[in-house]
Amino acid sequence: MSAVAEAPTPPQPASPIAGFVDRNFRWLLVWPSILVLLLIGLFPVIYSLFVSFQKINRRVSDTSFQGFYNYERLVTDERFWDSVINTGIMTGIALPLELVLGLLLARLFLESFPGRQILIALIVTPSVIAPFVAGAMWRLMFENIFGPINEIIRWIVGGTFDLLWLINDNPLIVYSAILTTEVWQWTPFMFLILLAAWSNVDKSQLEAAEIDGASGWRVFRRIIFPAIRPVVFVALTIRGLDLVRLFDIVYALTRGGPGNMTETISIYAYIKGFERFDISMTAAFAFVVIVSLSILVMVVLRRVGVTQ
Amino acid sequence: MSADGPHRFKAATAGRALLAVAVTALFLFPVYWLFVMSIKTPEEVFASPPVWWPAEISLENFAVLFRDGDVRAIWNSAIVAGVSTVIAMFLGTIAAYSIARYRTGGDHLAIWIISQRMIPPIAIVFPIFLAFALIGLNDTYLGLIALYTAFNLPYVIWMMRGYVEDVPLELEESALVDGLDRWQTLLKVVFPMMRTGLFATSVFTFIFAWNEFIFALILTRTEVITFPVQVSHYFGPQQIFWAKIGAMSVLGTLPVFFTVAMAQKLLVRGISMGAVKG
Amino acid sequence: MDRRQLIKSASAFAVAGAMLTLPGLAHAQSAADAAVEAAKKYSGETLNITWEAGLQALDPLNFSGPKWEELTGVKINVVEIPISELFTKTVAEHRAGTGAYDLLNVVPAWMPDLVTAGVLEPLDSYVDQFGYRDELQDIAPTYRDNQMTYGGKIYGLPDDGDVLILYYRTDLFGDDAHQSAFKDKYGYDLAPPADWDQFYDISQYFSEAMGPDGYGSALIHSPGLVHYLYLQRFRTDGGKLFDGDMNAQVNGEIGVGVLEDMVRQLDNMPKGAASWGPIEVLNAWLAGELAMQIWWPPPGRWSAGYGADVEALSWLPKSTIAGKVGYALPPGGYPELAAGFALSVAANSEKKELAYLFAQWLNSKDISIQRVTLPYALRDPFRTSHFESEEYKALWPAAGDYLQTLQEGAETGLLDMSIIDTFAYEESLTRAIVSALAGGNAKEALDQAAGEWNDLTEEIGVDDQRAAYEDWSSKPGAYPN
Repeated sequence: MSAVAEAPTPPQPASPIAGFVDRNFRWLLVWPSILVLLLIGLFPVIYSLFVSFQKINRRVSDTSFQGFYNYERLVTDERFWDSVINTGIMTGIALPLELVLGLLLARLFLESFPGRQILIALIVTPSVIAPFVAGAMWRLMFENIFGPINEIIRWIVGGTFDLLWLINDNPLIVYSAILTTEVWQWTPFMFLILLAAWSNVDKSQLEAAEIDGASGWRVFRRIIFPAIRPVVFVALTIRGLDLVRLFDIVYALTRGGPGNMTETISIYAYIKGFERFDISMTAAFAFVVIVSLSILVMVVLRRVGVTQ
Repeated sequence: MSADGPHRFKAATAGRALLAVAVTALFLFPVYWLFVMSIKTPEEVFASPPVWWPAEISLENFAVLFRDGDVRAIWNSAIVAGVSTVIAMFLGTIAAYSIARYRTGGDHLAIWIISQRMIPPIAIVFPIFLAFALIGLNDTYLGLIALYTAFNLPYVIWMMRGYVEDVPLELEESALVDGLDRWQTLLKVVFPMMRTGLFATSVFTFIFAWNEFIFALILTRTEVITFPVQVSHYFGPQQIFWAKIGAMSVLGTLPVFFTVAMAQKLLVRGISMGAVKG
Repeated sequence: MDRRQLIKSASAFAVAGAMLTLPGLAHAQSAADAAVEAAKKYSGETLNITWEAGLQALDPLNFSGPKWEELTGVKINVVEIPISELFTKTVAEHRAGTGAYDLLNVVPAWMPDLVTAGVLEPLDSYVDQFGYRDELQDIAPTYRDNQMTYGGKIYGLPDDGDVLILYYRTDLFGDDAHQSAFKDKYGYDLAPPADWDQFYDISQYFSEAMGPDGYGSALIHSPGLVHYLYLQRFRTDGGKLFDGDMNAQVNGEIGVGVLEDMVRQLDNMPKGAASWGPIEVLNAWLAGELAMQIWWPPPGRWSAGYGADVEALSWLPKSTIAGKVGYALPPGGYPELAAGFALSVAANSEKKELAYLFAQWLNSKDISIQRVTLPYALRDPFRTSHFESEEYKALWPAAGDYLQTLQEGAETGLLDMSIIDTFAYEESLTRAIVSALAGGNAKEALDQAAGEWNDLTEEIGVDDQRAAYEDWSSKPGAYPN
């Protein structure tokens, strides 16, 4: 009886029998989840690994061992590297932008004013909308003839203006359209997290700094930022990993075009796999992506684990 | 100094409030724009310069969706997201309990589980499509529900682990002393203590499934098309049905919007994957 | 009132069409009746059929599906798929061996890819079994000879007369003041352009004459479609895609000349027209801002206001140019067939015969004429009997001219490039065109594309690709004759 009562305190059960029960019970609780994850998560990885060493495409089903043929094709495929670079550019610009805008917003909403709660509730809306719908929404915003963005520019410059944002040959224009959508959708997410973290910063330290006459920027750098850094790190990790697999909004806005100008890793994998049915190469592609991301995630998570 | 202090304070607050309103309006404008698209007449949809507010509210675009049966996509989304949320919440919470209380599997298991969440859907969807085809799960509720359950499990486990840790251990001990067995303790003592956590986590689980696109795009045909996929059907090379896109998006966004409004206070912890206790 | 008359004649026509299908009217059993008779034994079954989402799908959803069910008791389940996903879904389901689709809507240019992947079922034996040979002969030669077979076997029933024709404004072209002013300036009569130099002149003239909000022309330049314009002009000028060793020829003198002229034509088009897609061109056209444009057949009906009162077309901006539209073949006289659809039976369907029967019924003389005149339909006339139909000619005042132009197009139309991995070749060519339209060097862009083509051919296998190319180029519509 007493052994059972102590059981919730985890590691050392008092008697071997209780220990057996404990072990059974606790594994009983996790096994269903592990099983589901193994089925859905691990099976595709093993499948991809297998198929990536064969030669299967729309016309051929050659299951003999092909060595690293598909991996060679992958690393010598310019379009693959383009997609990596495109994804890198989008992530590299969107991530810091969302962070800085999120911080500015958090600063704006830090102190109370009338209506603050309602505005916070409203401003979060973009982050809960389906990303595909967000893409559709901005495709409409950027419409060249009846879209509001060109119309507003028409007011400002006076006269005609019917820039095609999404099928333009100038990457700066197409990218700014995609990044606007991405940053619009996820800045509120950053903001919400940062605001909460910022609100939790120890007030006494801030007051002490104020008495010392430290400037706002100095206070932010010396006291606030160190305090919220772990949270910033988590938020950047979540967003960063989402950006690396960016698909929905690009699919809605440009489908990777014009040409392959805005093709992300996920979009290219989709085209390779589901339009070309170059199945073995897509498998190699998927395997490379999964392995590199898993390594990245493990490293990052261990760091988060430490900072917590 | 002391005389105009409060004044200046008031002016600063008013200024900040104004700026905050302006920024919020900026963020909401695209949502507004898609919304007015849904209540415009065809002429107004294509008008240039654009119509900022329609002369009269036309519900025709919504009526068409009901007449043609397109709204079924909303129903499909509700079933798929709803059922998968319930299953993922149950399986995930008991697993989280075990991991939090017993350190089952240690750090390795916890990290492996959360890393499953980070796999890009596009990298696994093709093998899943083939496997589902083999066992007849494509374009079925069961198929999408199973997938979304798996997709959301890591999040549920990760989040609920934190909430389990918030439940005082003494409560469980006294329940066990009172003669409840382990299952009873879990279901009757621990679960009720985590009401808020369960609610907040299921809100996000639901939203993830509701908004998901790639899996639904590839694994559905007609029967269980979800709402984002339905919206994608309105884009054609020769026509884009903006009014339908607007109306369907409004129908698909309202439920999420209200759920989030209800869960306002719990948002931060959920969205930050537990990094901020909010 | 014009419109009301239209609707009246349209409904009178629908009644006449319905009567045609009454059994017993013809002595020999029509293909439609034969299909219905043979399908009756399958009563109670359901056919799954893929169809492009949106307007296209209204035909089987509202018209042909219910009608077929009434006649045979076979239910039609329409799987709506956006055109961008149609190929993907078709091949994916085949690979997975699900048998989820019985009847397929296939863009004829995909046929080599679908056949080599084993997706499509040969139809020859069905055609003979159910007595469809004769009626197949009524399908306009271009579609019949070009879009039906691969490797000598029938893999699809051509079901859509897509062809890119020139639309021009009769009120502008017929105006005396414009006539004489044009002749003064350019030294020849103002008429629909016979070649691209005339196209340039006329565009230039109207860009000036129509003022700041009007332009001489606009063409479809968006990725995914712009290669049609290039390939049409390239082949009309005598270009060949490959030489005997399967080396790409698109970067030769002819190709560079064509691409440079496509860039030159932008002079007389609206700003931004270098990347306009069909929607932009159509909107500007219906708004009366263009003197000429080149599009698929539907605007011929829409700009005449045919079907304007139909709810399904309410997304369309209202036509401001009804009664002012003339039709002609594009400069050069060899219009691109640009996509289109054929009805094919899925190789791993469990109801192949039934699927074929429904296809034959849809495609038959009796039923297809009703389908191509549905006001909301996007299926365009594709049979000789459609072009000659008196009822169709009565639908709007210029409908006769319209049908005549479509028929001429159906005689000289150029078949879309259709080899193994056509998409990849198109994409690479598109990149070159887009870069030149954006101001890049045409020769360099095409050199790059030709290099990519050669790499693709090598990767696919030169002999495999040669076989596919020879099958394609042996068809009468591959090159002008």
